Amino acid sequence: MLSRNFRLQKVGNIQWLQKNYNFSRISFCIDELIILDVSRQERDIPKFCNCIKTLTEGCFIPIAAGGGIRTIEHAKSLLQSGADKVVLNSSIFSNLGLVQQIAQEFGRQSIVASVDAKRSDMGYTIWTNNGNIPQDSFLGNWSSNLANLPIGELYLNSMDRDGTGQGYDFGMLDHLPKSITVPLIIAGGAGKDQHLGEGLSDHRVDAVATAHLFNFVGDGLVKAREKLLSDKYNLPIWDVEFNKFKKLYN
Amino acid sequence: MKQNIIVIDYGAGNLWSVLNAIRYLGSQASISGNPEEIRGAECLILPGVGSFRKAMETLQHSNLAQAILEAVQLRGCKILGICLGMQLLGSHGTEDGDTVGLGLIPNRVDKFTDRELSGNKIPHVGFNTVNFAECKGLFSNFSDEADFYFVHSYRMLPENLQARLAICHYGVEFVAAFEKNNICGTQFHPEKSQTNGLMLLDNFLKL
Repeated sequence: MLSRNFRLQKVGNIQWLQKNYNFSRISFCIDELIILDVSRQERDIPKFCNCIKTLTEGCFIPIAAGGGIRTIEHAKSLLQSGADKVVLNSSIFSNLGLVQQIAQEFGRQSIVASVDAKRSDMGYTIWTNNGNIPQDSFLGNWSSNLANLPIGELYLNSMDRDGTGQGYDFGMLDHLPKSITVPLIIAGGAGKDQHLGEGLSDHRVDAVATAHLFNFVGDGLVKAREKLLSDKYNLPIWDVEFNKFKKLYN
Repeated sequence: MKQNIIVIDYGAGNLWSVLNAIRYLGSQASISGNPEEIRGAECLILPGVGSFRKAMETLQHSNLAQAILEAVQLRGCKILGICLGMQLLGSHGTEDGDTVGLGLIPNRVDKFTDRELSGNKIPHVGFNTVNFAECKGLFSNFSDEADFYFVHSYRMLPENLQARLAICHYGVEFVAAFEKNNICGTQFHPEKSQTNGLMLLDNFLKL
């Protein structure tokens, strides 16, 4: 488990995660879980699949998984291991055939296109391959291609803000054409509930993502959700809260 | 409560999540794509993601469609269709051209029209509020409304569906869930809708 996307900090392995980060518990303050394999070495999809199965036992929310998906078989095995969607990043540049194939086989709703953008003189440059390779494309001119891809959601991450906790980079959104009609998840930079609220208040944003360390510190995320709900943000409510439900059925 | 629950495997859908939820509720279920086993089941769950046409073709070619109809219509086996699985219970679908569904209920499945959407995005993805006409049977223990997780671009309109209904609104009112005797469907994913979904699944198992 790594706490950041680009300036990665290793915080623990899967045993650490299970011990310190109760996904079943935490799943009750989020609407969706995104699990990314950001290993720098050769990806091991079967191992990643097992990881997902283990981590998500007792989680009853949508799960998106990605990192290193290069073939339809990779996508298939993730979708059979508890993932509802696959997250594609490099493939949406280098392997459009795969995107089409996954969409045909599992429907476009099963694809989350993840785009890593970094501010540059010309606007926002798009980076792929774990944020290691800059593309010639800029968010502004390339994102019209995105409108034609068979995807279900767009996960737009600011590499500048990622892991900083300084808030989202809404400047990225100014570069997205109107022709992109799929739901947009903004990522990179959220460090407190106020940032999540700012994202949810922007009419161009459909969902806010966070991978920031504040998830791991005490009950930061639980508190953040409570605050947003009390501020009347339109978040789903679960009638029976988790502990009560546990008692009811176990 | 012991019952022979089968999650139908026809190559579409997140079977693991459905199994996971049923097990959490203390029931045992198995995954099967075998028509004989399905014919003899007491309780069927038909999950599904992907295209209506492709799913129906697979169900027909593998003789699962016939097995499901026999179990549900002749023996009164209860069935829960989830997402595409609910749509497949309908009479027709228009995804990838007009396709005949299982026909367990008379309703058609069509894409949200632009007029209906009035600016809403497609697919309809995320949690949305579902309203229950009456909180009995499949909808026991809920108050008038609850939030569930949806992912879909096609919807079933509630006209002429003589059933206990739950309605969701996304530009237009569509069938979020229904219970018609032994036939149930949810357009949303109960296995992905936290305690609300678990409660609904539990209701189904207890029907």
